[in-house]
Amino acid sequence: MSSFPRLARTGHTSHCKICLSGLPFSQVEVDSSRIALILYCFGTLDLLGTLSTKTSETDRQKWRDWLWEQQTSGKHGTGFKPSAYMTPQGGNDEYGDYDAPHLIMTYAALLSLAILRDDCSKLNRTGIVQLIRACQHEDGSFSALPDGGEADLRSVYCAFALSSMLDDWSGIDIDRAVAYIQRCSSYEGGYGQIPYNEALGGTTYCALAALHLAPGTTLSSPETRITPAERARTIRWLTQNQTSCGGFCGRTGKLADACYCFWCGASLSILGAGELVDSTALALWMAQCQYKFGGIAKAPSERPDPYHTYLSLAALALHPPSEGASSWELFPFNMFWNTTEETAQWVRDHVPAHKA
Amino acid sequence: MSATFDDSDESKPYATDPEWADVIPVQQYEGVEPIAPIFYTEEYKDATDYFRGVVKTGEMSPRVLKLTEEIIHMNPAHYSAWQYRYRTLLALNSSLEAELELMDSFAIQFLKTYQVWHHRRLLLTALRSVDAAARELAFVARALRTDAKNYHTWSYRQWILAHFNDEDRLWPGELPWVEELLEEDVRNNSAWHHRFFVVWQSGVRRGEVDREDVLRRELAFTKEKISLAPNNPSAWNYLRGVLDHTHTPYASLTSFVQPYTVAAAPGPTDDSVVDLENPRPSAGAELPCVPALEFLADIYEAEGGEATPKAVQIWKSLADERDTIRKKYWEHRIKDALHGSQ
Ligand SMILES: [Zn+2]
Repeated sequence: MSSFPRLARTGHTSHCKICLSGLPFSQVEVDSSRIALILYCFGTLDLLGTLSTKTSETDRQKWRDWLWEQQTSGKHGTGFKPSAYMTPQGGNDEYGDYDAPHLIMTYAALLSLAILRDDCSKLNRTGIVQLIRACQHEDGSFSALPDGGEADLRSVYCAFALSSMLDDWSGIDIDRAVAYIQRCSSYEGGYGQIPYNEALGGTTYCALAALHLAPGTTLSSPETRITPAERARTIRWLTQNQTSCGGFCGRTGKLADACYCFWCGASLSILGAGELVDSTALALWMAQCQYKFGGIAKAPSERPDPYHTYLSLAALALHPPSEGASSWELFPFNMFWNTTEETAQWVRDHVPAHKA
Repeated sequence: MSATFDDSDESKPYATDPEWADVIPVQQYEGVEPIAPIFYTEEYKDATDYFRGVVKTGEMSPRVLKLTEEIIHMNPAHYSAWQYRYRTLLALNSSLEAELELMDSFAIQFLKTYQVWHHRRLLLTALRSVDAAARELAFVARALRTDAKNYHTWSYRQWILAHFNDEDRLWPGELPWVEELLEEDVRNNSAWHHRFFVVWQSGVRRGEVDREDVLRRELAFTKEKISLAPNNPSAWNYLRGVLDHTHTPYASLTSFVQPYTVAAAPGPTDDSVVDLENPRPSAGAELPCVPALEFLADIYEAEGGEATPKAVQIWKSLADERDTIRKKYWEHRIKDALHGSQ
């Protein structure tokens, strides 16, 4: 169909390459979660297949080196720091209280390294398991930092994803964590960020992916953690979030936002209902979110950023439009780890201790 | 020494300030070429060099409060500066109430930054004071005037209520306040969610021991809100939530739902025969409305047998005409119902 818009692949690659080369001071807030932004840039190139064609091996080696510099060990185990923003000149042998590793950044760093096809020989696996253990609380939740701080479903998801990548669940009390996730479930069908919170697309993805990733225990199995009635209610709420413009909103009654096309769409896929997304309407709306100089914004006529660019492409990879030319074709996607299937395979082959 | 966001002497770099002459600044480590480096301003570099210097020696003093305040003003997501500030406040035995007040305007300016709210949570936990918690509820209400659906703000309120769980001082105002918010904007889903939390999810409020009575009250409230704006999914989701939670069959609302599923409100509409139990759609409402059709189809599906084709018919009309963006979902419901009844 000639009237179907195109996915501006070249523009999206260059948007992410520009961000990788540096950010203006107005973006200083990114510093304390910089590896996440880096993952969105790498993930975009991975989905578009431009990492090997549009970046040099010299660059990729420098990137690997920098990522490994963020791996840090100390009294709570090993993980990655968001960036060097608190690392004192000269570096340090062990982290202190104020430059400790961060669970979400550790997840992002590991996926980034896998996208760069690093052999992960420098990965301190037992240290990461120790960090995961240090981040779990009495109530089953996880905080992003080992001595407290934000505890919510995002950290829970990262702990589960890391454990499944390492193929080592000894750092998690699964039953306690599953109970915490279930306490975050809301009457609408989605999950809130912490217990009693409003249903939200992003944390619903975290909850569902975690419930499916964890192996069975004597108390629960991936199949029994969600009852058929709960599943039906969640599917209803998720599909209700696709608004008439084609994009998804993250909460009932809010405006569509590109990132929720992934969080809600992938949640439906995890529940085995991915085909319920109107993928053509989704792609047509995404096309309008494309910025004229590259990148994808949260909504039409907004400014783009790597987060919305990457998640939009990930949504399109999971829910490709039935019409439209080859410009919309992306690599097969792993919805549980939120990465391409090829990168997921690299993780399986290089991250678990028994593969080292 | 009181810390404020007064900019009068901020222009002086720490590097030339005699008050800071005894601190050795520590630059940020950059070993190999960084990915996505931030191009820091001189002012930010100067302040964070002194912050790393302070962290290295472990100094916790009033001037550290001023320094961390300046840093989080430039970068409210700098969680290490927040962490260090919090511990310094404790070490100095500073007034945590004063800190909360100091952070009021800051929180409103940076509503979307998680750290702003996390800091308040830590302060309130340390204070263990219901008075302070009550003050925070008032502050949250003010903050929501700026952004009525801010997720962090709502999350913080729910945390305060659950954490302190004070029946005398904290809970009594919640329901009237939520009602006010829904009066202003009946589509505010955060307010509907909060109502569910207050009424059903957080124990039994004083005077609400008779759950049958509470159920009747909530159904009447929701029906009235639906009659004002029949296409409001938040109200319908609340209605479903209440029915599911109390195991009340949807079929008990058949006569309420029916007028919303047809093109024009049938029958007499003059005030003398108003059925208080079942308020009718307001004049000018767009009918039939999708959530009502969906609800009626659910009633038919639950009934099964002879009623199933009626549900299928509704889903067909939703798929083909009234809610085409969800065509695949309605077709899935048809398949499910027919498969299930075999
Ligand atoms: Zn977004």
